[in-house]
Amino acid sequence: MIFRTPLEGIEHPEMEADVVIVGGGPAGMACALRLSQLIDAHNAEHPDAPLSKENIYVLEKGREIGQHCLSGALLDPRSMNELLPDWKKEAPIEAEVESDSVYFLTKKSAFKAPITPPPMQDHGNYVISINRFTKWLGSKIEETGITIFSGFAGSELLFEDGRVAGVRTDDKGVDKTNQPKGNFEPGYDLKSKITILAEGSRGSLTKQLAGTLNLFKDRNPMTYGVGVKELWEVPAGRIKPGEVIYTMGYPLTTKEYGGAWIYGGKENTVSLGFVTGLDYPDPRTDPQHVLQSFKQHPFVAKLLDGGKMVRYGAKTMPYGGWWSMPPLGGNGWMIVGDSAGFLNSQRLKGIHLAIKSGMLAAETAFEAWMSGDSSAKQLGTFQKKVEDSWIREELYPVRNFHQGFEHGFLSGMLNTGLLMATGGYGIRDRYPAHAGHERMLPVWDLMGHPGGRSQLLGWSKGDGKLTFDKLTDLYHSGTRHEEDQPAHLIIKDTDICSNRCAKEYGNPCQFFCPANVYEMEDCPGEAGKKRIHLNPSNCVHCKTCDIMDPYQIITWVPPEGGGGPSYDGM
Amino acid sequence: MAETILVLVEQREGKLNRVSFETLAGAQALAKQAGWTVEAAVVGNNIASVAAEIAKTAVAKVYAIEDKALEQYTPDGFVAALKAFIEGRKPKLVLLPHTYQVRDFAPKLAASLGAVLVSDAVGYKYEGGKLLFTRQMFQGKFAADVSLAGEGPWFASFQTGAFRGDQVEGGEAAVEQVSAATGEIRTKPEAPFQEAKQAVDLSQATIIVSVGRGIKEQKNIEIAKALADALGGEIAASRPICDAGWLPMERQVGSSGQTVSPKLYLALGISGAIQHIVGMKGSRNIIAINKDSEAPIFEIADVAVVGNLFEIVPALTEEVKKVRV
Repeated sequence: MIFRTPLEGIEHPEMEADVVIVGGGPAGMACALRLSQLIDAHNAEHPDAPLSKENIYVLEKGREIGQHCLSGALLDPRSMNELLPDWKKEAPIEAEVESDSVYFLTKKSAFKAPITPPPMQDHGNYVISINRFTKWLGSKIEETGITIFSGFAGSELLFEDGRVAGVRTDDKGVDKTNQPKGNFEPGYDLKSKITILAEGSRGSLTKQLAGTLNLFKDRNPMTYGVGVKELWEVPAGRIKPGEVIYTMGYPLTTKEYGGAWIYGGKENTVSLGFVTGLDYPDPRTDPQHVLQSFKQHPFVAKLLDGGKMVRYGAKTMPYGGWWSMPPLGGNGWMIVGDSAGFLNSQRLKGIHLAIKSGMLAAETAFEAWMSGDSSAKQLGTFQKKVEDSWIREELYPVRNFHQGFEHGFLSGMLNTGLLMATGGYGIRDRYPAHAGHERMLPVWDLMGHPGGRSQLLGWSKGDGKLTFDKLTDLYHSGTRHEEDQPAHLIIKDTDICSNRCAKEYGNPCQFFCPANVYEMEDCPGEAGKKRIHLNPSNCVHCKTCDIMDPYQIITWVPPEGGGGPSYDGM
Repeated sequence: MAETILVLVEQREGKLNRVSFETLAGAQALAKQAGWTVEAAVVGNNIASVAAEIAKTAVAKVYAIEDKALEQYTPDGFVAALKAFIEGRKPKLVLLPHTYQVRDFAPKLAASLGAVLVSDAVGYKYEGGKLLFTRQMFQGKFAADVSLAGEGPWFASFQTGAFRGDQVEGGEAAVEQVSAATGEIRTKPEAPFQEAKQAVDLSQATIIVSVGRGIKEQKNIEIAKALADALGGEIAASRPICDAGWLPMERQVGSSGQTVSPKLYLALGISGAIQHIVGMKGSRNIIAINKDSEAPIFEIADVAVVGNLFEIVPALTEEVKKVRV
């Protein structure tokens, strides 16, 4: 197996840039749009000395904007109202939220909460498809004249004298053995004054930056959940557009964190999915199986009966909260959106925060551009802008929310009550956190562990109508990659897979990956020994493996640009 | 005195590569704008007929640079011959078609003269006495205008299709024979060969015997091949078999392989994941052999055989042979 390593001796063509935004999701798009607005305002006042948008670039690894975007999703309109006051007139909206309810599920029953807890109340919010919404934002960018390079991934950060000097894009046309093919094109070195990382959850350049500059030194480790989603078409009348349902409990036990969402969209489409916290103890837990078991609950089965599954996908979400966010700006760089963890873990909403963070980063970038100073001092003002804005008003009170659940569901609920009463302080500010993968138990420690979790463990068999096995689900994600390229899941030492992990954890990668990328196959000629086999072209770019592998030896890097899932309508 | 554009025409085994006409058309257009002269050259051995064909276009002169050592293309030979020739004639600009052969020797040639080479240009601009070549960047999203540094000779190669070969102006030119200086040639080319193209076109097969993970080991594929031979059909496989290298990729049936619709499709030890089904569900008759009675393949099979393929298939092959005789 050959992993993606930079080719030696390749000269990379260079291009100068004023601002490079890595990632075309809501944060990246909002950042570009806001920057364009600031430039237009400036040029209107200084017609003799206009600024040019020509050297502002957005890199997006998907073939088109929105292609890799997946979420529930519910949009809090607060930041869109600031960015584009008339957005409701043109943006694609599935429905305005009409009703919201929270259910607690046991194996057979569903108990509705008498009132929806205030953080989960969604009146004033909108059910959207993040894929369609971001695509629309992309069209707004195209009108502005800022260049979007879709099909190009940010492959490596460029460093010079301790500052981030820009981004290198992916090499194209490299074959399975890491040799250039006939259509080889080296990646471009975009030498940029300001680089803004908007890569989404567990960004790879963000990981590189964090490692190089030890960004998480005084921070809690980021904690994640993986959302596994299916889009369904159901018979008319089953659910109203704008109906929002959250569930807790079954199929999870008190040892796991997570819950489901069900949103009614337009024309009888239902967005449903299950977020499984990536801090579960049993290494055989399979988040895709969790979703299938969830659908078998009578409450959900009734809704979906006779319907058709249209699309499938998965993505991780960072809900470590305020204490696990890295420094936001430094020498030549800023981090926005999910890459920095701009997510309200209590409300489980982050799109509006991603958009606002993109806007504030654009304002910081604009000021830096005008002053010619993109040093840590200047770009560090991004941190201050965030702290002075409603982002902090929203995120600070819930800063200890997720940590409260580290000892299980019940203590989590108790903690939540306590936190809400104390404005987020709780017992002692701040609550520590542990990286989720550290909570995974080796197989021998599972002996004393309570049972009753077979509905979470191992591969789902699927009945083909209501529930599906992983491969069938995966087919509906529209995932495609250029087959002849090196594997983009870099495993530091595959011997660990065969010799240690097989015994200690039973190779959980086979289960936590929602896309069947990881398989253990028999070693030919060595009875009883298994080795890892990768199917990288199945990858849906969720980053679960990078997060959850107990030895932290897996690094996800972008495959050749253009490849990945096709999340139409997700 | 007008500057000269030298067009390097490509020939292989005595046959003119017609893409050279595109380069000539481009050269002629530029020459008209800039008021320069166009000449052409072709390198090889016994290439009089190629030179004669080029001489029928509107160029000032055609040079046939010949030597026995240049009979077969080698980078050393071609570069040595062209370097000497260009040093002698001193054209301002050398234009080439961006072919595989040009990609091989043009950088070496330009470097040997300390000259610049702009490759894979899609056009040119001549404004106010300044010459620029247009190149694509970011897979065509951007176009860059490249200017040439230094005094010359400048080198540029044109992308196939950048100009139209049928727009070459006709004319009559003289052909001059030039003997080439070849120097030491380090490569000894062997006979040209064509890499085996798709040895099989599964979409044309009427009978396909396909194996999946159930075949267990690479050597067991022989059992399936025997059946395929007996039936006069082709062997194919699902993805894991091809991923493991047990059969070549072109024999893969499925969403990331071929889509087939033969008269008869035998699925041996194939579970029937949707990714495979979409590649063969159009088959007229589907027979599936699998020891798992719940394998999804049985949902689309016309004949479902639940059993051990290692017992069934050899027996089936024998019966087929009896009937086929």
